[in-house]
Amino acid sequence: MKSSATVMRKRILVAFIALIVVFSALGGRLFYIQIIDGAELRSKAGEQWYRDLPLKAARGKILDANGVVIADSKDVFTLYARPNAVVDKASVAGEIAEALGETYETVFDKLSKSVGEVTVKRKIDADTAYALREKDIAGLYFTLDTQRNYPFGSSMSQIVGFTNIDNIGQSGIESYYDKYLTGVDGYAYTSTDIAGRETDDTATRYVPSIPGCDVTLSIDSNIQAFADSAVHTAAAEFSARAAQMIVMDVKTGGILAMAKSPAFDLNDPPRNDLDLLNELSRNTLVVDMYEPGSTFKIFTTAAAIEAGVVTDNDSFFCAGSRTVDGQRIRCWRSIGHGSQHLAEGVKNSCNCVFMDLALRLGTSRFYDALETFGLGAKTGIDFAGESSGMLMKEENVKTVDLARIGFGQAVAVTPLQLITGVCSIVNGGTLYRPYLVASVDSYDGKNLATRDPIAVRRTVSEATSARMREYLRGVVESGGGSKAGVAGYAIGGKTGTAQKYAGGGGIAQGKYISSFIGFAPADDPKYAVLMIVDEPQGYMYYGSLVAAPYAGDVFEKIFDYANIAPSEDVGVEYTFMPDVIGMTAQEAVAALEKQGLGVELIGDGKIIAQTPIPNARVKVADTVLIRSE
Amino acid sequence: MKKRVQKRGSVPFRSTGKSDIPLIAATAALVCFGILMVYSAGSYTGKRIYGTEFYYVYKQLVGAVLGGLCLVLMSRIDYHILKKLRYVILGVSIVLLAIVFIPGVGIENYGARRWINLPFFTIQASEVSKFGFIVFSSAYIGGHEDKITTFRGILPVVAVGAVNCILIILEPNMSVTVCMALLMIVMLFLGGAKLKHLLMIILPLIAAAVVLILAEPYRFARLMAFIDPWENPLSEGYQLIQSYYGLGAGGLFGVGLFNSRQKYLFLPFAESDFIFSIIGEELGLLGCLALMSVYIVVIRRALKISLGAPDRFGSLLCSGIAAIIAIQVMVNIAVVTGSIPPTGLPLPFISSGSSGLIVFMASIGVLDSVKRRSHKSVELLFERPIKTKRIKPKKNTAGAAA
Repeated sequence: MKSSATVMRKRILVAFIALIVVFSALGGRLFYIQIIDGAELRSKAGEQWYRDLPLKAARGKILDANGVVIADSKDVFTLYARPNAVVDKASVAGEIAEALGETYETVFDKLSKSVGEVTVKRKIDADTAYALREKDIAGLYFTLDTQRNYPFGSSMSQIVGFTNIDNIGQSGIESYYDKYLTGVDGYAYTSTDIAGRETDDTATRYVPSIPGCDVTLSIDSNIQAFADSAVHTAAAEFSARAAQMIVMDVKTGGILAMAKSPAFDLNDPPRNDLDLLNELSRNTLVVDMYEPGSTFKIFTTAAAIEAGVVTDNDSFFCAGSRTVDGQRIRCWRSIGHGSQHLAEGVKNSCNCVFMDLALRLGTSRFYDALETFGLGAKTGIDFAGESSGMLMKEENVKTVDLARIGFGQAVAVTPLQLITGVCSIVNGGTLYRPYLVASVDSYDGKNLATRDPIAVRRTVSEATSARMREYLRGVVESGGGSKAGVAGYAIGGKTGTAQKYAGGGGIAQGKYISSFIGFAPADDPKYAVLMIVDEPQGYMYYGSLVAAPYAGDVFEKIFDYANIAPSEDVGVEYTFMPDVIGMTAQEAVAALEKQGLGVELIGDGKIIAQTPIPNARVKVADTVLIRSE
Repeated sequence: MKKRVQKRGSVPFRSTGKSDIPLIAATAALVCFGILMVYSAGSYTGKRIYGTEFYYVYKQLVGAVLGGLCLVLMSRIDYHILKKLRYVILGVSIVLLAIVFIPGVGIENYGARRWINLPFFTIQASEVSKFGFIVFSSAYIGGHEDKITTFRGILPVVAVGAVNCILIILEPNMSVTVCMALLMIVMLFLGGAKLKHLLMIILPLIAAAVVLILAEPYRFARLMAFIDPWENPLSEGYQLIQSYYGLGAGGLFGVGLFNSRQKYLFLPFAESDFIFSIIGEELGLLGCLALMSVYIVVIRRALKISLGAPDRFGSLLCSGIAAIIAIQVMVNIAVVTGSIPPTGLPLPFISSGSSGLIVFMASIGVLDSVKRRSHKSVELLFERPIKTKRIKPKKNTAGAAA
């Protein structure tokens, strides 16, 4: 048997070898963790070592065509607190509550949370933040943030849109162009301990932010102001549900103004009432469709001329209604227009004329033309949620429907489609794609993209266009559009008065959409204006009386602003309003027309009311309103 | 050179040889490095919890000074006194383990009663008991050379070990229990117990370990956490993940002394059980390997002294000390590197904790005491004979001094 000393010596050697083996294995394990897995572990560890405070990138500006700021950002502050570093929570909560206008309980609760860091309040304006920071309260710190600032307040509120609290675009241009307007956030990395307390020995490292791009609109804030004034005044004057206006550059499709009343202040959108906010921020000019009524007759006329189914000398007779497929369709003027040439028919806006034109064209040709004008399809404007309008399915169109479409019923368009199509008819026949944003520039002024006008297609010939301009000029000079006229200037246009439909499909009594679409100068149009008043209250609901005057006002201001000289130096002629009360409708119309006045007539019996009052001084060719029993 | 014939059980030697300078130097290096690392790893925690970054390092310095005194004292005292006092030492260590459970004396921390409250500092009773066990088992095995190859002969060692283990597991302290069990097996192995007898001890122990693990759900969860810490990165897996982060961040060369980021409260017990992770972070793989090499030096010196010891008791005492150092270093590094389930066990000489430091330093004193009483170095295993010859003449002068 081996001696115990020998056994022990052997066993010590065995144990030592075992130790070396284990140590080698542990060394290998260390090599694996520290070298092979090292990089991955280091980056994961880095995530917990640094508190990264985002440095918010400034959001790009929104500018008008002249470079005027429509939306920019102002500095605001976010107040954070580290609850465990706030010594006297009660008194600090009191101070904060007082400075920020918060309730003491809210602030105290936040300061009492057992978290490393708590956001006390966001979007604190600079002055308040500086005042609070002066007090140098331990445990509080501020970070810079930005808040959207809209110098024009409620102007263009449906177009420009607003952002949420994180400065992300929620509607309008702010949303559509969000990825351009949004910059790239930077970060401030500060090394902290596990609870987020800064360690003493490390400096904060900064990764700078990159500001977002500036977006320049085609909108001219001056023209926009004219349009804003028009819609707000019109809405107030007629206690209307809404009033809207588009001003478009006829030769490019650029939107020069888009206004709607009611509006809301972009600096303070009603965020707490989501339904109200959605309603107010809807850009109905783009996303909603309506039955256009008489303004649609421009398309019917242009299509008929282009197709050669009508000549200047063709005569149309209106007895107050047409019977199509055994169904009697009334002209708006129940006493009829008598015999008219095409130009007169347009001037009178006689439904019978346009029924005839539509029937002459037939469904197929008429539909082809309407589609050429861009109806039934989105215009492709740079705005979210655009509607295509609504054309009946071609195969479902019966003759009676065709006749109705001819004068703007049984069809729905968006205001934008209407003005875009009309522009193509009066500009020589080119349909341009409408647009809101003209250019995008980087924050340091480098131009990234400029929008050139996009011609979509030809709609009518130059000749047709010229004739249409003539006809429509006649409407403003001596037809229903006379109130849109500006003395000395040639303006073309067309009024429209459409009845609204109730939910069930029947006509909603007393609910109208009054509109006017016009362009100027009439011989070489540059500006097109579409004015729509939704549900004007009372008897004044004709487009000629409700919408046209405001379009005229805007034209006048534009001429002044754009320094367009009058084409002719005309002195305004005046006449007197005769007393027509008690006359029959026919007698009254005859008397007024003899006086050189246009007439809007309600009913066809004995006249019981007139606007203006007898013997009032009115411009020659002005339109007046009479109402019978 | 004086010739001494040493007989087992005879009176202690009067004259002694020279101290083991490499052992003392390596120990001093470990302790100083430990103080440095405890400062680095514990400065932030100390500042946050106790208001001073020197909190842990101050305690460690006190421990180092007391440990140094114990080291010198133990190296001066003839180690055979330990043999004489073996029952006293064993009794004291077991009593210490027992009084931990007396309320007011024992301190409960992290859900376990491990510390004894003394006016000036706290003692972790199990640190003492490990050495109590080494002294007792060395004395028993050394004195019963003939019985140790029988199963009956090893039973007293097993019984004492079992009492220790049971008391420690009741604290509860799983890791020290495992250490104690390993220590017992190593002692029996080195002492010459038959391997089949050892197996008869080991297999029931493994069975007991399985039962203990399954009995306490938190142990089972910890076990699972070691297999995949990322499964519960915020609960069971948290500490191991943080340990990995520290090691991984260190890479080959480390982030530099005092530059650890994990010590900012990310890694729990950064200054004690997980200090090796901070060492890995600050000094890299190279620092870790260097530290492990120093441990090898210490253990190798201890085993060498064991082989050269004048008697079986001294030899077993030294190899027992070498074993407990080796076991704790291995277990600690294995835990920090996620190689075994996590348990709380300090790294000898380095981790913050004065009772452990004092006892380990005292045990180095014991090693030195054995060395100084060895009539010659044993060259068989570790040293070339020529070196032994070269240091022989010096022994005379040193011997006269004592």
